[in-house]
Amino acid sequence: MDLHTLGIADLRRGLRSKEFSATELTQAMLGRIEALDPKIHSYLEVTKDSALSQAKEVDAAIQAGAYDDLGILAGIPVALKDNLNLKGTHTTCASRMLESYVSPYTATCVQNMLDQGAIVLGKLNMDEFAFGGSTESSAFGPTRNPWDTDRVPGGSSGGSAASVAAGLATVTLGSDTGGSIRQPGSFCGVVGVKPTYGVVSRYGVVAFASSLDQVGPLARSVEDAAIALNAISGRDPLDCTSQHIDTDFTANLAEGVKGMRIGVIPEFMEGEGMDDEVRDKLNEVMNELKNMGAEIVEIELPNVHASLSAYYVLGPCEAFSNLARFDSVRYGYRDPGHKDLNGQYEASRSVGFGPEVRRRVMLGSYLLSSGVYDTYYYPAQQIRTLITQDYVRAYEKCDCILMPTSPYTAFKLGEVKDPTAMYLSDTFTIPINIAGNGGMNVPVGLGNDSHLPIGAQLICPAFKDENMFRAAAALETVYGSACVAPDFEKAGA
Amino acid sequence: MRKLEEVLQDWEAVIGLEVHAELTTLTTKMFCGCKLEFGADPNTHTCPVCLGLPGALPVPNKAAIESIVLAGLATNCDIEKHSMFYRKNYMYPDMSKNFQTTQGPIAFCMRGHLDLEVDGVGAKERIDLGNLKPGETGAADSTAANVTRTEDGYVAHVGITRIHMEEDAGKMVHVGGGEGRIAGATHSLVDYNRAGTPLIELVTEPDLRTPEEARLFMQKLRQIYLAIGISDCSMEEGSLRCDGNVSLRRRGTKEFGTKTELKNMNSFKNLHDGLAYEICRQAEVLEEGGIIYQETRHWDPSKKRTIVMRVKETADDYRLFPEPDLAPYDLSDEFINRVRAKLPELPDEKAQRYADTYGLSAYDARHLVDHRVTANFFEACMDLTQGDLAKPLANLIINDITAHMNADEFFDLPTSPLTPERAVELVKLLADDTISSKQAKQVFTAVLEEDKDPAAIVDERGMKQVSDTGAIEVVVDKVLAENPDKVEQYKGGKKGLLGFFVGQCMKETKGQGNPKVINQLLTQKLGD
Repeated sequence: MDLHTLGIADLRRGLRSKEFSATELTQAMLGRIEALDPKIHSYLEVTKDSALSQAKEVDAAIQAGAYDDLGILAGIPVALKDNLNLKGTHTTCASRMLESYVSPYTATCVQNMLDQGAIVLGKLNMDEFAFGGSTESSAFGPTRNPWDTDRVPGGSSGGSAASVAAGLATVTLGSDTGGSIRQPGSFCGVVGVKPTYGVVSRYGVVAFASSLDQVGPLARSVEDAAIALNAISGRDPLDCTSQHIDTDFTANLAEGVKGMRIGVIPEFMEGEGMDDEVRDKLNEVMNELKNMGAEIVEIELPNVHASLSAYYVLGPCEAFSNLARFDSVRYGYRDPGHKDLNGQYEASRSVGFGPEVRRRVMLGSYLLSSGVYDTYYYPAQQIRTLITQDYVRAYEKCDCILMPTSPYTAFKLGEVKDPTAMYLSDTFTIPINIAGNGGMNVPVGLGNDSHLPIGAQLICPAFKDENMFRAAAALETVYGSACVAPDFEKAGA
Repeated sequence: MRKLEEVLQDWEAVIGLEVHAELTTLTTKMFCGCKLEFGADPNTHTCPVCLGLPGALPVPNKAAIESIVLAGLATNCDIEKHSMFYRKNYMYPDMSKNFQTTQGPIAFCMRGHLDLEVDGVGAKERIDLGNLKPGETGAADSTAANVTRTEDGYVAHVGITRIHMEEDAGKMVHVGGGEGRIAGATHSLVDYNRAGTPLIELVTEPDLRTPEEARLFMQKLRQIYLAIGISDCSMEEGSLRCDGNVSLRRRGTKEFGTKTELKNMNSFKNLHDGLAYEICRQAEVLEEGGIIYQETRHWDPSKKRTIVMRVKETADDYRLFPEPDLAPYDLSDEFINRVRAKLPELPDEKAQRYADTYGLSAYDARHLVDHRVTANFFEACMDLTQGDLAKPLANLIINDITAHMNADEFFDLPTSPLTPERAVELVKLLADDTISSKQAKQVFTAVLEEDKDPAAIVDERGMKQVSDTGAIEVVVDKVLAENPDKVEQYKGGKKGLLGFFVGQCMKETKGQGNPKVINQLLTQKLGD
């Protein structure tokens, strides 16, 4: 049986009816990782022993007829982006700086998954410290796209998207600061959710930009993503920016879009700033939604063009400060042989951090310095307010907004060399982090020209994440659930 | 170097203080649940948050916010309902995150003040009060604008810019360099037990003009913090720390001079003496045509001088920005009122009550409340006497007890043999002329040394004062008869000899004669 293609509901059914055991399921997944992951390098660490011992516990409960007493994710194979702390595992953030760092504690969102019985297969590759859009900046080598291994999986949660697309995990967690869940979701043809800021606790998530970071699930179906979000959402006393959430994100998946008002931005529908096949797909999706009974509403977001500028001020500023703790004193890479403190700081950080990290830390350090602060940081915060207000006004007219996730499909490794060109790939995702709203990628088939996955992005008002899940589930009835990439579907153990 | 009194004739000193207080009465740290405990094994009170591990986030300690609001209300500050935490970024190994969480332009407490009553010798440091009569305030454009003259000194109104909340850093120990110094050390150890200890920093306006005013400000602030119970305020152990900024300007000029920042003033005396030295040093440099550099200087009490720690060539750039992990802090009226209700009687209010209830002078009342123990002792005595003998009891406390406390740092009044009952008994023996004031001092010492009741000591030593006129008259007559030459001189106008006669009579009565009666009889017999 192809267990690696099944979703949560089917896996639960099989486990409950003892069609297969949790150990068999886990072994099957571990076997696939061993056989197939070398082709894409989505895992940085495989936690084989702990996964098998977790599976044993689930099997014991199944044998005792107590499967339904376990959590909603009991026995489900999951994996974690390597910026999420899980006690006893390496949490490297794909950086030399943290190559030997072992977490002494577990992130709240990870603990929530464990509490629901999820079986953690391992830790996933990413752009170093989540700075990037291709997973090429990982200090441990890039991840490849399962749809075409010459291409990137997107980033920064490239490992989280690629592993799901290759059938090497059922659900994964990623983090999204400017598009880092949605854009790789789009490149790899899987569902990727960035919830509203505050839905998921950030405690234990290695911070990139505290006011923008949010953890979310990647999966091959809208329902699986919703189940995972149910597991990890809610108020955490250890994160004072987290909010009390009692929404069941699976509740309205079958409702359809009849009567929903879907906002579109005319310039985007005309293809401004995106490839033709993406534009064509977007219009097709709009028509499908209309056919299913949604009301299409034109909206405008007059200040949204300034998002990228604001993002590349606020992000580096917060990152500069958040990454200051990596100083080689308490943990992390320490360059040997330095007698004085500043020499040790400088050499350790020069060697321990890769070029993109150094670039952003230096940028943030400059932008916050006195005299410069008023020119950049302060206006960036003002722009942030304006953009947030734009969205609030737009949502008066609609329940959800449709736009592309990425202006193009997955590019080839090494193709985008200029960092600023790389930054542009997040044009459509960044504004949602700036405004703090929820957004998600839904796979809507392959491009006519590239024959690679294209994603539609659905975004929703703050704490109305159920709206986008509802529209996404409706699109899934048209385009089908995401599948395992063809080359990986039948291959393997 | 010239003396302070002389220097202050020519120069006006401008002093501002920055006072850090650790909130030692709290049980947990500022942003995590780790225990606050002085002296625990290194790094035993730490967690991912205060160690700055990747992914850890701060959660503010509500009790600490309550403490700072209490401090603000007790120092006449406006409480800002909407304020934010900021990150102050700089790298040092004792800071686990390499930024300190502090507050930005708006702190929890803004625009407060304290009024300082300056009297005695200390008031003489202030030389610009010349023509002011008691009750008068200096002219608005004069250097004495914030000063009101009193009978025995003056009151200075000192502005408080702000009190903000921040966290302490860890502690570094340098090994191999001798005496824990960093110079020559082979390596350093860091203990993060202290990292994240809640601190409040109070910043004054540059309103202080003399070292004595600075000393009194700290003393008063310490009394207030102790009264509201937010810190143990140990200057020695560093839970109350004070930095002084000081500059000079010529008398009559308005422009501020270059300031230096003074550190290591870990007692009231060091605060006074450090500032006094620095004022004199700056005056000497300026008078010789030199320049004051903006620098941090260290007061060395053993060498009695300040030495340069660090020269600030450019302003430090801390890249302050709002802490994104902490939401802006909104205090409700309800919260502020709840804290206000917890305010105990503050030292000023207590002094006022003593003056009103017991008819004490403002001076006596103020000095009674200088220490919590003396105030409590006084109140216990008043409970025993139902308010009688307030003045002599106040005298006993302010003079004898306070002197004893100052002389012996291990003296603990509440557990000493001198109970309020014994103090009242002693004062009664004096009041009804059973003993003389000189004898009272002997009894006071004996009570402390022998742990006995004053009446018992008086009995044992046969100390009773002789007030019987007949018995004393015999002695007076004898003394006058034995000194006819002195009697002549006295009658010739040398009235100062009265003291001699009193002394001789006291000697004759072995110190037990009532001086009042002796005086009375002597003047009578010498024909005045």
